[in-house]
Amino acid sequence: MHPVPRHLHPGAWWLWAVGLATAASRTTNPVLLLLIAAVAGYMVAARRTNSPSSRAYVVFLRLGLVVIAIRVVLAGLFGAALPGHTLLTLPQVALPDWAPGVRIGGPITLESVAAAGYQGLRLAVMLCCIGAANALASPARLLRCVPGALYEVGVAVVVAMTFAPQVIATVSRVRAARRLRGRPNRGLRGIRGVAMPVLEGALERSLEVAASMDSRGYGRSGGLPQSTRWLTAAATLAGLLGVAAGSYGLLDSGTPGLLGLPAVALGVLLATAGLALGSRRTARTRYRPDRWLPPELLVVACGMAIAATFIAIGGTAALQPSVSPLQAPGLPLLASAGLLAALLPSWLSPSVPGLQR
Amino acid sequence: MTVVGVSAVRLHPRSAAALALSGAVGLLAFCWPLLVRHDSAVAHSTDAPWLFVLLLILILGVVLAEIAEGGMDAKAIALLGVLAAIGAALRPLGAGAAGLEPVWFLFVLSGRVLGRGFGFALGALTLFASALLTAGVGPWLPFQMFAAAWVGFGAGCLPGRVRGRWEVVVLAAYGAAASLLYGLLLDLSFWPFTVSGTGAPSTLAFVPGAPLADNVGRFVAFHLTTSLGFDVPRAVFTALLVTLTARPVLLTLRRAARRAAFDSPAEFAPVERQLSISLD
Repeated sequence: MHPVPRHLHPGAWWLWAVGLATAASRTTNPVLLLLIAAVAGYMVAARRTNSPSSRAYVVFLRLGLVVIAIRVVLAGLFGAALPGHTLLTLPQVALPDWAPGVRIGGPITLESVAAAGYQGLRLAVMLCCIGAANALASPARLLRCVPGALYEVGVAVVVAMTFAPQVIATVSRVRAARRLRGRPNRGLRGIRGVAMPVLEGALERSLEVAASMDSRGYGRSGGLPQSTRWLTAAATLAGLLGVAAGSYGLLDSGTPGLLGLPAVALGVLLATAGLALGSRRTARTRYRPDRWLPPELLVVACGMAIAATFIAIGGTAALQPSVSPLQAPGLPLLASAGLLAALLPSWLSPSVPGLQR
Repeated sequence: MTVVGVSAVRLHPRSAAALALSGAVGLLAFCWPLLVRHDSAVAHSTDAPWLFVLLLILILGVVLAEIAEGGMDAKAIALLGVLAAIGAALRPLGAGAAGLEPVWFLFVLSGRVLGRGFGFALGALTLFASALLTAGVGPWLPFQMFAAAWVGFGAGCLPGRVRGRWEVVVLAAYGAAASLLYGLLLDLSFWPFTVSGTGAPSTLAFVPGAPLADNVGRFVAFHLTTSLGFDVPRAVFTALLVTLTARPVLLTLRRAARRAAFDSPAEFAPVERQLSISLD
């Protein structure tokens, strides 16, 4: 399959990555988790773009390592040790009565380190999946998919993203100008002397941007009939109310069951409907919009497939290897087959344009 | 005597109601580990934190759409974009160093001058733009956006009568308090991810459904050990930055707000006859 090189819809990559992360959330088997991270990494290597955001995977990978370290250290220092092979014993600190159950120091066993390490690894691999989504889907394209109801906000973010590099350029220009005049660039006075002209210039620029946006019709919304506006408001507010009441019902077991998940689902539905209705007020066409074509759907299907596989076989000993007593984790066949399915997009999706491989 | 500030983004009763409801959902999304009962549906599932992440994304979208609807003109959009850009450019400067978060003073001062609606939108959008620029979109982003938005909103709610030197003191105190609270809430949002599933309960970890006092004690211990070392320097740094920059930055923002003339709507009036005579 050799389709024309093009960028995939960013939503497709995000859904694929979320499916992979869902799979990771269902297991603490380190072998499977490392395989999931490898799948995400392979996809990034195969389909990343030239933009700077494509380095996100490595950044998230490092963050994941930090998470594992934090989990292990916290479990070692503050956790009650699982019975088993003692690695070392730290001096224990006695704490006052107002901190019941808090324990510092004491023995550290291989079993508790393994338990903390497995759980840290699970979180780290989920972070890897999200990092892969960051690397695969370009943020500028993601921004083009915001619904019409968020049009004004989306324009503001586009302005911000275009302007942020210019702010940094302005800073170096102001510094150069100050150097030429023999003014200090260091110290409190220097920072202030640089920062204020940058801020003044930026605010000046914003009025120019606003004027040019006004004259080109940006930030304007088309008139909607009053009835539609009322309907939007009613759907949105009822949806928010539903979500608020439902999420409270979820936490408190005393409330009737109908107030829990059903109320949340109804609220989410109504709020989404409100967003969709509100999107009508911006009647705009997009230049070359990203479309949902068969490759996008296939990529999403692969992501959903692995999530479904892991959910279906979740809870088994193969996915949750025992740590006390410590046993070597196995490699379940079905889960590995699901992982191969998640790898399919590297052949099914079109390659990225403008890259020499 | 100059004006304290303007409302660059007007809040209608509709958007105010949406804000209030979203605040309630947001509070639940942050505080659910403390409130959850032992026998409730979400207490024993590892998916609960992710459910609240998704809910918060939806809520943020809905609220920002409500605020934008009829309340945001091109000037507000441009000003939002430019200030968010400055924030996004400032944010990486603090990464790495403990507690150096140089964007907070921007939210506080802009919220003060440009109003609560603007402060809300600025807080959310700055963190969103910064995450997009640094490719740092993750499950923490909705929580950060939500908390930062309310920091900006709160700055717009400070009493308007306080002026001069006291204004700087109030803003600095608010900045310090807000950044401490922000640290506490963000820590609370991360805490459920430390839940110990198969292992023995760590004395700092979240135990789903444990009594409120018990979990609060655990959380306080967790917060003290993991992040207070970041939060206190950040609060001090924010207060210091606000004190140092408040005067000139407030002046500049007020001048920009006056030039943008948010409160005077543009009107189209027929051209007067005298003009056409004088042109003959």
